[in-house]
Amino acid sequence: MSRPSVLSSSIAVFQKDLRSEWRTRTAVSALLLFAFAVLILVGYAVGPANISREDRPVVHSVLLWIVIFFSAMTGLSRVFVHEEESGTAAALRLSAPSAAIYLGKLLANLALLALVLLFVVPLFLALMSFSIACWPLFLLVLLLGSIGLAAASTFTAAIVSKASAKGAMFAVLAIPLLLPPLVAAVSGTRIAATESGIAAGLDILQLLLAYDGVVTTAAFLLFDAVFRE
Amino acid sequence: MLYPPPVFLKAENVTRSFGVRRIFGPLSFEVAPGTVFGIAGRNGAGKTTLIKMLAGLIRPTSGRVLVASSREPGAALLSPRDTPLALGWAAPDLALYGELTPAENLAFFAKVRGEDDSPKRIDAKIERVGLDPKRLASVETRFLSTGMRQRLKLAFATLSEPTVLFLDEPSSNLDEAGRAIVAKVVAEQRRGGTVLIASNDTRDLGLADEVMTL
Repeated sequence: MSRPSVLSSSIAVFQKDLRSEWRTRTAVSALLLFAFAVLILVGYAVGPANISREDRPVVHSVLLWIVIFFSAMTGLSRVFVHEEESGTAAALRLSAPSAAIYLGKLLANLALLALVLLFVVPLFLALMSFSIACWPLFLLVLLLGSIGLAAASTFTAAIVSKASAKGAMFAVLAIPLLLPPLVAAVSGTRIAATESGIAAGLDILQLLLAYDGVVTTAAFLLFDAVFRE
Repeated sequence: MLYPPPVFLKAENVTRSFGVRRIFGPLSFEVAPGTVFGIAGRNGAGKTTLIKMLAGLIRPTSGRVLVASSREPGAALLSPRDTPLALGWAAPDLALYGELTPAENLAFFAKVRGEDDSPKRIDAKIERVGLDPKRLASVETRFLSTGMRQRLKLAFATLSEPTVLFLDEPSSNLDEAGRAIVAKVVAEQRRGGTVLIASNDTRDLGLADEVMTL
């Protein structure tokens, strides 16, 4: 009996998750509604006019990543929690290689996060009159920061999926894991808002890249033990 | 030269405990190809736990389980976790994806296993358990009756023509026609593989060649 390839199995898991999400729209609705509510609150409470010009890059960078982070916390744990709650996790364990499950779920979470970014970032920039000086750096920070968020959240979701207090456990485990990339992403966004050259943010990009590499590799190595026990 | 008789499943001194409470064991038994092995016992005796352990879904507290990695003669005996594609499992706490149609569910599991997921093969699998693939082509699984979902679980369990098929309460929620499907699935499976049935239902256990009571 031949073993399935990790890549084709992970694509099947990814497609299945997208199809399920398209039919229920549970995670997308939760993520986008939360993001929309926070954006409106931030825009109303802080707005562009209530902050001095020199403070704007710092405050806006922090607020942007707060919106992205809490939106991610709202929906990204669902990929595994839903499998456990609906009783489908055992069928998945018996059918797909662990690495393929993690990769497929990571891709699904990246797709969700991409949707959130497409919704949040333009609205945030418009609402807060947040101007970006170096777009390539800003986009790279968004990309690498999102990969870090998704990689760590997906792995944490697998850990908490069998726990009884899933929401609380997810926050407790994910927040310490996600603080380093969040701090780096905030700094990178601030630099992208103030410096016109990408060189100023190279250290941040290297840090984010290293974090993404370490977390994704560790998750791949540990996932089998986490998901099958 | 005498060869040992082939074995498709072997349990060696397996026990399972939750905390300090031992559920069962130590148990040792072997199941040969073409055999239907029944597991009986009162509620709470550990039938479902034993089936899950044999299928590699939970670990034994002590002892080990080995299953044949394929139906080929002389196939290696491996831990069930190392050869999940040789196993089929249907149980009350198994669920398939409610948002997908029956065909989409089976095609998904075929695809992640690296198998043929063509509509022709998938429809044949659905027909085999007495469901009409054309009628259910656009019906999401969550809208099926409990009995139809139980039949779909049988189709899932036998999707890859497993070496060992685990059936936990296979006739629950099934009418007489459904029970006949279970008997047919068991008869087909025993031709090349083996079946373990955990149940309290005497008609399910009547399909077994031998019955172990927990």
